[in-house]
Amino acid sequence: MKLVQIAGYLGSGKTTLIIALAKMMAGPGLKTAVIVNDAGEVPVDGRVMEEFGLTVKDIGGGCICCQVAGNMIRTLESLAKGPRPDLIFVEPTGMAVPKTIRENVLPGAEKNGIVMGPTIVLLDATRAEKLLTYDTLKRLVSTQLRDADIIALSKADRVTPETLEKTHYAAAQINPAAAVLELSTHSGKGLFELAGAVRERVVAA
Amino acid sequence: MLSSRERVLKFLNGEKVDRPPVFSGMGNVIKPVLDKYGIVFSRVHRDPELMAKAAAGMYREFGFECAVVPFDLGVEAEALGAKMNFYDEVEGLLYPTVKEKSVEVVEDVKIPEDLANAGRIPVVTGAIKALRKELGDEVAIGTYALGPFTLAGQVKELDALFEESFLEPEKTGKLLAKLSEFIIKLFKIYHDAGADYFTLREMGGTSDVMSPKSFRSLIKPHLVEIIAAMPRPSILHICGDTNSIIKDMAECGADALSVDQKNCITETREKLGSEMIILGNFDPIKVLHKGEAKDVGPAVLESLKGGASAVWPGCDLWPEVPKENMEALVSTLKAA
Repeated sequence: MKLVQIAGYLGSGKTTLIIALAKMMAGPGLKTAVIVNDAGEVPVDGRVMEEFGLTVKDIGGGCICCQVAGNMIRTLESLAKGPRPDLIFVEPTGMAVPKTIRENVLPGAEKNGIVMGPTIVLLDATRAEKLLTYDTLKRLVSTQLRDADIIALSKADRVTPETLEKTHYAAAQINPAAAVLELSTHSGKGLFELAGAVRERVVAA
Repeated sequence: MLSSRERVLKFLNGEKVDRPPVFSGMGNVIKPVLDKYGIVFSRVHRDPELMAKAAAGMYREFGFECAVVPFDLGVEAEALGAKMNFYDEVEGLLYPTVKEKSVEVVEDVKIPEDLANAGRIPVVTGAIKALRKELGDEVAIGTYALGPFTLAGQVKELDALFEESFLEPEKTGKLLAKLSEFIIKLFKIYHDAGADYFTLREMGGTSDVMSPKSFRSLIKPHLVEIIAAMPRPSILHICGDTNSIIKDMAECGADALSVDQKNCITETREKLGSEMIILGNFDPIKVLHKGEAKDVGPAVLESLKGGASAVWPGCDLWPEVPKENMEALVSTLKAA
C-alpha cells in the first residue's frame, strides 16, 4: 500500500483534487482509498466516493497532536487489515505540515506494509502572493511547500499567465527539488500530467 | 518515603524530592488497563466512574504516579456548543474529535452560566471527585484544559481563524480573550472538584505553523493572563519545536514547562538555565506505542540526560501502548 499525501493550505482545492485523482486512477488492478479530515473545505459524501470503488474513512482534529496522528495510524491499520488498497490518498487538515504527518504516521504504518509515496502540495494560484507574504501564513505555507515532491499550482485557469509564471517561480524558489505543475480541476488542465507524475513516483516508492 | 502525590506536588513546587516523579499532565490511559477493567474506550469519555477507574488504573496497574482526566481534547469545545464524534460505531480505538464547530464570531462564544454542569464538564469533575475518594492522598490528580488558540481551532473553522488572525488580529484577540475567560473559569471548577495540578495545553501555538512574532503578539498575552489566574501548580505545554519561543513560554509564568519530542531538550535547558522545571520529551508514538520494550528505557533516559527535570511524554499516550512498554517506562525511570 502506497500513501499519497495531498496537502496544502485551506481552500487550495485538496478535496476536489483528491476526488478527481482517485476517480481517474482507480480501476481494475488498482484499489484506491481516501482518508479525509473534517476540516476539509468541501464536504465529502462517503456514498459518492464508494460509487467509484473507493473506501472513505474520516478522521478529525484541528492540530497535529498525538491523538490525531494516532487516529490516522489506526485508520491506516484498519485499511491494511480490510480492503487493503494499493493507493491511499491522505488529505490532512490544511494546517498540517506533510513532514509531521510522515514522521508521526510512518513508524506505525511501515509494519503494515504501508510505504510513503509522493507528497503533493497545492498552492492556490489565486492567493499565492497573499499566502507567501502574510506573516501568519507564510511560515506554514512555505513549510508545506518545502515538504512537497510535487507542487501543483491550483486554480491555474483563474489567473493571468503573468501571475502563473510569478507563482511558478516563487514555488520553485522555495523548493527547487519539487516538480511544479499547473492545475485546474475545473478545466482538467494538468490533471493527467499530475496523475502520471503520481503514478511514476508511486512505482518508484 | 514520599507518597506519589507528595512527590509530584513537592517536585512541581520546586522542592527537593527523592527522585523525579514518573507522571504526565496529559491524556494517559492505555488498552491494557481498559481491557482489564472491561472499559470501552468510546464510552470512557462520557462516564465519570469509568473515567476515574481508567485513570486510577494507570497507577494501580503500572505505578504511573498520577491520575489524569479527561483523556480527549473536546471537553471545552463541547461545553461551548461544538458537536463531538465519539466513534461509537468504530471497531477499535479512535479519540473523539469535533465534528461540528459552534463559533464564527466572538459573539457566538456563550459561556454557560452554569458552566460546572455544561457538556461533559460534570463528567470530568465527577471523575476527579471519584478519584479523590478512591485514591485519597496516595496519588496526585492532574487535569488539563486547552489554551485559547488551540480551543479557538476546535470551535471555529481553522481557515477562518488563521486568516482572521492576520487580516483582523484584533478580532482574533477578542476571541482569545473570551476563550481565556472560559478557560480560567474551567480551571477553577476543576480545582474546586479536587484536582492537584493543572496543565494548560496550547498545542495550536506550535512554531510549526505560528511564527514567534505571531506567538508573542497574539497568544502569549492570553497565556500570561490565564496562568496568573489559574490554580497552581501550573504547567504550560506547547507542541512542536518550541526552542524559538521557549523564553516567552517561561515568561508566561507557569510553575513548569512541558515540551514535546521535536525539541532539542539540551538547547531548551541551556536557554532556560538550571532553575526552570522542564518536563518532557519522549515520543509517545514512536517510542512507547510502536517501539520495542527493550528500547523504551534508553530512549526515555535521553530526556533526563538532555536536561529534563522529569521525564514525561511529549503528548498524550496513544491508548494502544503495549503493557511491557509501559512497564519498561515506569521501571526505568523509577530506577534512574
